[in-house]
Amino acid sequence: MANDPEDWTRRNRELVELLSRVALGDRGAFGALYRRTSAHLLGVVLRIQRDRAVAEEVLQEVYVNVWRAAGGYEAGLGQPLTWLTSVARHRAIDSLRRRQGEPVTVAGPAADDEDDDVLTRLPSTAAGPLELLAQAAEARALADCVRALSGEQQQSLALAFYQGLSHAEVAQHLRQPLGTVKSWLRRALLALRDCLERAASTR
Amino acid sequence: MDYARPPLADRLAAEYVLGTLRGPARRRFETLLPAHVALRAAVAAWQGRLLPLAAAVDLVEPSEAVWPALERRLFAAAEASGGWWRRLALWRGVAALATAAALGLGVVATQAPPVAPPIVIVLEANPDVPGVVAARFVASVTPDGRALVLRPIGAVPLAAGRALELWSVPGQGAPRSLGLVSAQGATTVLRTRLLDGTAAFAVSLEPAGGSPTGAPTGPVLSVGKLQS
Repeated sequence: MANDPEDWTRRNRELVELLSRVALGDRGAFGALYRRTSAHLLGVVLRIQRDRAVAEEVLQEVYVNVWRAAGGYEAGLGQPLTWLTSVARHRAIDSLRRRQGEPVTVAGPAADDEDDDVLTRLPSTAAGPLELLAQAAEARALADCVRALSGEQQQSLALAFYQGLSHAEVAQHLRQPLGTVKSWLRRALLALRDCLERAASTR
Repeated sequence: MDYARPPLADRLAAEYVLGTLRGPARRRFETLLPAHVALRAAVAAWQGRLLPLAAAVDLVEPSEAVWPALERRLFAAAEASGGWWRRLALWRGVAALATAAALGLGVVATQAPPVAPPIVIVLEANPDVPGVVAARFVASVTPDGRALVLRPIGAVPLAAGRALELWSVPGQGAPRSLGLVSAQGATTVLRTRLLDGTAAFAVSLEPAGGSPTGAPTGPVLSVGKLQS
């Protein structure tokens, strides 16, 4: 795993400096920011937008957005890598919607295909969303809290987070009623929040 | 919808960060975000909870073509003139304004008139943000780096609720605020080490009261580099 979750906090600190220079219009800092973050952001975008060419266009849009909005980045609220990841995920989701009504990531095998499972549909070299969830969860508290979720909750969370699927798409993918999936996700989020807050208060 | 209701705000923020808030609901949410402090705080909290999950995603190096394409897209227009950061090097030895600047310094440097001449920096209008506010300044700094006088060259039209903030920009690291400066007359800045590690001075447009974040938030109106 090239991208150690333990690194997240340290990298964020370095990026705060770069972003504040980008806000001043410093192109050198912008280049450095690109070099340090583009591989991560493209990875995030590619999970959601599988078309490499489109994903790289999305990546460009992300940095155009960052160059123009760096002044609006609030150092007090989010961490920079978090902010950048957030911009990238939303742009990637937008690129799916732009392409048409049919969700690209779930158009697939017929409903009677027994092997229609999220894990089998991914390129064999890449980790599946559930594996990613487990890997990301190496960050201690998050790990425990993710593991405490039910199987269905983990699966729907992984599909929504890593593949950018909507409620309806997750429901279609897992062949469950929309209401069921919505409630799995809602409870997963609440459980995650409560668990992380408990972990933070006992630290 | 009443976004001020905490449980609803929290649920929407969670879905927004997760990515499941879609269509008109998401657009409405994004429109409200800038004005709602509590909503922004809820989003930040959820980003802190969920986005570390993205750390597990494999790195994928973009094709070599992406960066040049990005540069063209952002800087093609400014390229002809070079962009302010690059142009800084050309702004050395602008002597025409030295006299005016030295006069400004005389006010500050009364107790120990410096033997060495003051350091004069012209902060040129930043052409990368045309049409915002055309602002040029001349800064003169005592050679010991203890005092700086900043004067606008010509009038700086400033809208109500806006302020000008002066920054010292180091070669490496984050810019340091030197405080708000006047759009009409001279502003004197007294510090112990104005020149240490400073590569350039910049003036940004900020809300009244100055940058709320400690970093420049508005456009950089003018900038001038120190001779090394």
